[in-house]
Amino acid sequence: MNDIMLRVENLSTSFFTHLGEVKAVRGVSFTVQKGEVLGIVGESGSGKSITALSILQLLKHPGKVISGRVLFKGESLLDKPEKQMRAMRGNQLSMIFQDPMTSLNPTLTVGEQVMEMIRVHQTVDRGLARKKALELFDWVKIPSPRERLNCYPHEFSGGMRQRVMIAMALCCDPELIIADEPTTALDVTIQEQILKLLRSIQGRLNSSIVLITHDLGVIAELADRILVMYGGMIMEEAPVEDIFYRPRHPYTVGLLESIPQIEGHARRRLIPIPGSPPDMLKPPAGCPFAPRCAAAMRICFEKSPEYSKSKRSRAMCWLWHPQAPPSAIFDRWRKGA
Amino acid sequence: MMKHSGPLVEVRNLKKYFPVGKAILKSHTRYLKAVDGVDLSIDKGETLGLVGESGCGKSTVAKSIIRIHPITDGEIIFNNTDISRLKPGQLMPFRKEVQMIFQDPYASLNSRMTVRDIVGESLEIHKIGTRKERLDRVRTLLEKVGLNADHANRYPHEFSGGQRQRIGIARALAVNPSFIICDEPISALDVSIQAQVVNMLEDLQKEMNLTYLFIAHDLSMVKHISNRMGVMYLGKIVEIADSEEIYKHPMHPYTRMLLSAIPVPDPLLSRNKTQTEMEEEIPSPLNLPSGCRFRTRCPHAMDICETQSPLLSDMGGNHSVACHLAK
Repeated sequence: MNDIMLRVENLSTSFFTHLGEVKAVRGVSFTVQKGEVLGIVGESGSGKSITALSILQLLKHPGKVISGRVLFKGESLLDKPEKQMRAMRGNQLSMIFQDPMTSLNPTLTVGEQVMEMIRVHQTVDRGLARKKALELFDWVKIPSPRERLNCYPHEFSGGMRQRVMIAMALCCDPELIIADEPTTALDVTIQEQILKLLRSIQGRLNSSIVLITHDLGVIAELADRILVMYGGMIMEEAPVEDIFYRPRHPYTVGLLESIPQIEGHARRRLIPIPGSPPDMLKPPAGCPFAPRCAAAMRICFEKSPEYSKSKRSRAMCWLWHPQAPPSAIFDRWRKGA
Repeated sequence: MMKHSGPLVEVRNLKKYFPVGKAILKSHTRYLKAVDGVDLSIDKGETLGLVGESGCGKSTVAKSIIRIHPITDGEIIFNNTDISRLKPGQLMPFRKEVQMIFQDPYASLNSRMTVRDIVGESLEIHKIGTRKERLDRVRTLLEKVGLNADHANRYPHEFSGGQRQRIGIARALAVNPSFIICDEPISALDVSIQAQVVNMLEDLQKEMNLTYLFIAHDLSMVKHISNRMGVMYLGKIVEIADSEEIYKHPMHPYTRMLLSAIPVPDPLLSRNKTQTEMEEEIPSPLNLPSGCRFRTRCPHAMDICETQSPLLSDMGGNHSVACHLAK
């Protein structure tokens, strides 16, 4: 356990809007080991992207980290001045965003942009930067890289643009890559290739990857360990097999039941989670999932549960309290699977 | 399960070419062949799913069927009438029968209109009912799609993505259509909300005997909702069959490739699944390969694939495939 790349402790982030304080992230703690792929799943508004932005200090006004600590290899990131953060971002820490069209500058060639990234962090001349950019393009399997360097982003397909973004993220051999919905805008076939690419990068650099997605299929393919987020909190944390085969939180069960099973023969009706995600201006007093939970008890609405922990996992649910009545909700999924 | 009584929609040899750039001579104009000879038929009460990568022409098929743009060639037969050459005025009765649900619940609702005006607009255009009756209808529709009738006076920005998509569905239902084209209706929604919307579409179909053309890139969801499924590649249908059949016995190499690329939400299965090597990207539709369009990415391409374009032929059991390998 001594190879901890990233430690996030009790992180809370809010947006101070004219309507009031939107509590986007509420006391999130987790660690990322060296060489590990940590998946964060959750719906939009669950706080998963804001957690990532808070870690990298990329929050925009009116967002603000209100408490907590972020330690990258033991060094606290939150009190670093912007100048130092800039030197780290894209260097040891890098990020891959969802939409490769809006994250690339349309008025510069992609080569220009990759080279800029290299030259910001390394003292190399244009020639060397170009050579390095070529290597990166080759690595992320962009065909005919020499010609492609002189192309503009609009001349690339979505999948190729995402490869450019990944090349940029890799230019300084990062130790931690945060990938926020890296394949959401792509076709399944291209998604498959990008996931394969991420896997090979991880194998080669032995970097840690934080993979943020709403797609349970993507996370099943890539992640070693999973955090399930909802309402700005971590509902459950467990190794990937446990999340999919032995979920310990009703929200995780709900997510699994609401997606169609490819292998199933009969047209099983989907079981949606009723209602909609909580309003983070006025988050519920108790468990954020209680209003949509099939197994909710009175206490769930009043008081937020503690984590029920085991060696490698934890779940934030009152059903795991020693005095809680037995509930069939967890058997429901296991029986179905 | 569902009543099938003859095709409601039939598309024959549909072609849609978009001119690209400008040429001095008309004969020099290059065309993007977005849809290049598509045949489809959809029975009453049935759901036909259409899948394929972006750029394969599935949305163009949808837009051609509802005549958003004029088609280059082919016939669109709706309820035994060829509507492909009708003039805008003559199309009005058809427009009442066919509605569309769009992908982006943010872009597809006018932010300056109230929900009441959005949902009621088509009633007004088709001059259905009095003002009062139209409002009542809007309120009933909102309740039908799981919203509150009092939401009628609100604006789209007051709703979440899932709720907006419900508004879009209410709008499509307003004129009591028989055929609804759903173009990626759930891909902008959260997982837990997708299931709500899909279940609702299924319930509405049963209740109102609707026929759906369901377009999506999420294959598992398409399989879930569709009776039959068509797989498109670069403007052509390469395989079409019952959804179960296509999943169990995919015949076209492209279908197999698509299926194997679906991320399976099951860590043991997904890590052990057979990896199909498929590095090439989809060729540009401006510069189509000769013969079979898939041959540049096909692991089984033969000589004949280069010269002859395979025809979509029936393999029995309602399963059609366009591949030289299929026997």
